[in-house]
Amino acid sequence: GTYTRHGFIFSSLAGCVEKTSEESGLPIVSVVRDSDPQLLPDVGVVVTCKVCSINSRFAKVHILYVGSTPLKSIFRGTIRKEDIRATEKDKVEVYKSFRPGDIVLAKVISLGDSQSNYLLSTAENELGVVAARSDAGMQMVPISWCEMQCPRTHTKEFRKVARVQPEFLQT
Amino acid sequence: KRGLYRKRRGLYREGLLSDDGFRLDGRRPREIRSLRMRLGLFPRADGSAYIEQGNTKVVALVYGPREVRGPRSRSAPDQAVLRCRFSLAPFSGPERRRPRGGEGRGSDLALRLQQSLEAAVLTHLYPRSQIDVYSDGSHCCTGTTAAALAVLDAGIPLRDVVCAGSAALAEGTALTDPNGAEEAAVGPGLALALLPASGLLALVQLSARVPCERLEPVMEAAADGCRELHRALDRELRRSLRERHGEV
Repeated sequence: GTYTRHGFIFSSLAGCVEKTSEESGLPIVSVVRDSDPQLLPDVGVVVTCKVCSINSRFAKVHILYVGSTPLKSIFRGTIRKEDIRATEKDKVEVYKSFRPGDIVLAKVISLGDSQSNYLLSTAENELGVVAARSDAGMQMVPISWCEMQCPRTHTKEFRKVARVQPEFLQT
Repeated sequence: KRGLYRKRRGLYREGLLSDDGFRLDGRRPREIRSLRMRLGLFPRADGSAYIEQGNTKVVALVYGPREVRGPRSRSAPDQAVLRCRFSLAPFSGPERRRPRGGEGRGSDLALRLQQSLEAAVLTHLYPRSQIDVYSDGSHCCTGTTAAALAVLDAGIPLRDVVCAGSAALAEGTALTDPNGAEEAAVGPGLALALLPASGLLALVQLSARVPCERLEPVMEAAADGCRELHRALDRELRRSLRERHGEV
């Protein structure tokens, strides 16, 4: 929350001054507030989103979390068919990867231009569906990287499943 | 009632300054009106501020930064878009006005507000988003100050708190921060928005005829008022922050 001008440090927020000293060199001066600052999705960060509609070319999602911080208002994003997985991109089918209501981990690849929203990608092993419900309404369990199974009816459904990293599970 | 108002107006025209150099409400020419402010009154908005300057009362709300509503082409790729709205309460003038849609977004006052705030808000930190500012009060300058405080309360980085003030010319003397009666008598004069730390002017608007050689003292009076306002706001801000955090 600071900036420098003419060799002075100015605050751009109203809050408390916090000084933390690094062992090598100069102390870091920062101004902090009691509430979390407003976050925006930025290129390269992992976001948690909810699928709200799919069609044959892309899936529309609502971005709910940036990293582990919840957003105050939702941001809309799109996952295009080509960005769902890294290999065999031409064989991807959106409805075999996501369904509306799924909770998906994705990475922001672009802020979008004047026509489009945030563009997201799940083309990594750690990205994809983390929570989904089956037709019977049960929370499904992943059985492979592309399938999930309903614990009640034992039907299998296709998803682009994320291999959730252990450090993400804790947060 | 209107006749009474005219009569009072005529009365004021005769003497805005007493022989001792005091104004109608007992202030000196360079004094500003009494100030009260509060931050964060509305938990639903991201930032809010309330200012009372004399009899002028203003509420400002800030939402955002959030996703751009409406056509995406309105968003800018490298900075946030400020959208401002300024509305006047129907009971805020000498006569009760009928509420109209006329002073909404895009009106003259809203544009002034937007221009003043754009000078202060670090919009480049929030690309492709929008910040909505709603200011609601009876006076444009107080509204601008309140809006800046609301942005501050929202935790959006600012270069400086914009302080806006006005000045009017009466009988050859520049009056800082004229009250309603003085404005009614001599017109609004000069409105000025200042970034006090750097001394930069965010907005100057002259809405009355002022002789060229008188312009300098009027501007100086308005800027003086802004600086005085900034000192008062700074004190109040520090006090309210200390209440919240214990120490600043």
